Amino acid sequence: MFETANIKKTILINIFPLFFLLLASCSLKGLISHNTHQAHVSDDFVIVKSTAQDTFSSLAAHYLKDPDKGWQIAEFNRMTTLIPGQELIIPLSPFNKGGLKAEGYQTVPVLVYHNFSKKRSDKTAVGQDDFEAQMKYLKQNGYHVVSIDQLLDFIDYKEQLPEKSIVITFDDAWRSIFDVALPILIKYGFTATFFIYTDFIGGGKAMTWKQIETLSKIGFDIQCQTKTHRNLAVPKKNESFKEYFESIEMEIGYPKNLLKEKLNIDCKFLAYPYGETNNLVIALLKKHGYRAAFTIDRKPNPFFIDKYRIYRSVIYGSYNMDKFKDNLSVFQKNELK
Amino acid sequence: MKKSIHVILMIFVFFLFFGWAGPLDSFGDVGQKVPEKTQRNKSVFHSSYYLKKATTYEKNDELQLALFFLKIAASLNPEDMEVVGKISDLKLAIDKKSNNYFKKGERFYIQKKLDGARKQFLTALRYNPDHKDALDYLKNRLIPKEYITYTFKKNDSLKIISNKFYKDPELVFLIVYFNNFKSDTEPGPGEILTIPILEPGFNQNFGDRRQDMISAQNLLGEERFQEVIVITKKILKNDPLNKEAIKLKNEAFYQIGIQLTRQEKYFEALDTFKKITPEYDGVNGVIQQAIQQGLLKAENLLKEKKYEASIEFAEKILSYDPSNTAAKKLISTSLCQQGKNLLIRKKYDEALHVIDKTDPADDCAEKIRLAVKETIKQQAEAHYIQGVKHFLNEELQSAIKEWEKALKLNPEHNKAKKNIEKARSLLEKLKKVK
Repeated sequence: MFETANIKKTILINIFPLFFLLLASCSLKGLISHNTHQAHVSDDFVIVKSTAQDTFSSLAAHYLKDPDKGWQIAEFNRMTTLIPGQELIIPLSPFNKGGLKAEGYQTVPVLVYHNFSKKRSDKTAVGQDDFEAQMKYLKQNGYHVVSIDQLLDFIDYKEQLPEKSIVITFDDAWRSIFDVALPILIKYGFTATFFIYTDFIGGGKAMTWKQIETLSKIGFDIQCQTKTHRNLAVPKKNESFKEYFESIEMEIGYPKNLLKEKLNIDCKFLAYPYGETNNLVIALLKKHGYRAAFTIDRKPNPFFIDKYRIYRSVIYGSYNMDKFKDNLSVFQKNELK
Repeated sequence: MKKSIHVILMIFVFFLFFGWAGPLDSFGDVGQKVPEKTQRNKSVFHSSYYLKKATTYEKNDELQLALFFLKIAASLNPEDMEVVGKISDLKLAIDKKSNNYFKKGERFYIQKKLDGARKQFLTALRYNPDHKDALDYLKNRLIPKEYITYTFKKNDSLKIISNKFYKDPELVFLIVYFNNFKSDTEPGPGEILTIPILEPGFNQNFGDRRQDMISAQNLLGEERFQEVIVITKKILKNDPLNKEAIKLKNEAFYQIGIQLTRQEKYFEALDTFKKITPEYDGVNGVIQQAIQQGLLKAENLLKEKKYEASIEFAEKILSYDPSNTAAKKLISTSLCQQGKNLLIRKKYDEALHVIDKTDPADDCAEKIRLAVKETIKQQAEAHYIQGVKHFLNEELQSAIKEWEKALKLNPEHNKAKKNIEKARSLLEKLKKVK
């Protein structure tokens, strides 16, 4: 009797928790069921039938381990919207690294802004409303704002970029960038790179080191634009060659060390003051470990651009929307067959 | 006993509800979960669909996509050896095509046709994205180098190398810096050095430039402006943003322009002023001054009744200042005067042709048109009267001739028309009487 009672007790003690375990397991299974696709997996691709819960981003998160790569699925399948039950190919690696097509090749524009104004635009300072309208245009028209690191992976023929990719940069570290442009960038979720010339920081109209640190901490990219903003390609009046060399060596080396020391930031990229450079400057950049450098030649960049002469388009305050759009070319026609 | 019942019950109930796969399915890493390859056997995906797609892409010359879709088809139906064969054929075709473009690119590269070469390498890479040689050309050989390597020889010294590459033995510090040498050590034979390449003449320009600038300043003081221009152009060739050289060059052109204006060579002066940077202080003033003086000269030509010369002068002014209303007015006035002269000389068609070129806002054209019309009318009337005179004198043929002249000048001269008919009718009757 005692044995029977004990067995019953044992059964109750063991079975109840197991029932709970079973229920929990069932509920878990229900939760993940939307991620279970009818799929065929290979080393290079996955074929899936999409479900009502899927988005390009969720599929990318699931199969490419990166929700930001939804565009890769959309572009490969040449689709803009996902229809439930649709058969999709998910390439597991980049399928067109250089953006090459029979009709031409992909180009990536790099925009550069300088000063901003809360009121109306003037020749150099871009007005708050104009900047907001420009960012809104990029968002609404499917442009992907990518980082310089991503651009460099594209230029190095390592990674593919979305077809409508663009890079946003800011030169000089004007305080107005922090006050006017930054909230708009955050609002639209755009990344950007800030090229600073270190002697300017903390000056009357410039950002402070604290503000630069804040930018870096919230995920923006801080890079170098020399120490004093001298034109690196043009010797000064009465400067000997040796003096010129020592000066540009300092302009290139000093800000890199300062940024490392002050904010633990690795300066990998440089924006040439006035957009000008020469062979010696590039040789020095390489010696100092810079990975790339930027001019202000108004053209978009193909993957085969010289990394030390990457083009950028200056956006002036005087630009209307049409003039802004002229700088957004993402494809260069050139028959490749 | 009790313990073993516990264990047996636990295991039994566990597998009763979950089976073997249950726990793995439920508690496995959700994020990492990837559908099993074993699903292939009961796949809902059909290789034929992807084969068709591959064919379409191949037809459209998108060979990489065609290959990709063939691979999908092969993966869905591994037993289909035909697909495997197609994959192998397509790979060969891709290799052949991309290599052909690559070789073409190399030929362009050798001929220094770099844009053509780039296009061929890009095409090679489009067909075969893994074409390492095409990529090497695009990413390395077609991009200018900042360094060259040099092997240190037995009789070399850093000074000799500096002189060899920079035409200046004093740039040893550059080689020392880029090769991490200590300043007092020389490399040994066989050692490979990194030599930065400078733009041609870049370093040589440093010493000369200061001297050139001083010379240019002195020459400007001596009013030897053409020589200032030659020297500053030389400086600016190597240093395009040199503000002092730009200023000196502007000043030289400015002074030459002033001299030409004084010599009444207004257009040469304007050509010279146009070579000055627009921001240069005073340049717009002297341009306007030369234009004004040019206009005065054109007005004088008009007064001297040299209409064609006046027009030519004013048109030149317009080529420098297209919105110059005074020059436009001058042209119109000269054309009107020409029209009047032609009217006086009874060259009515030419007069009308000339005044057609005048400014429509200028009422002189309309006046001349009316005057031409009136003169023609009067002449027609004179012929008509002359005709009447002949008619009264019974000179019917002469009368008809005059009235015909009147009609030619004024086709709406009804009296002339009627009289011609009458005269011809009379002539007919007279013939019959005779």
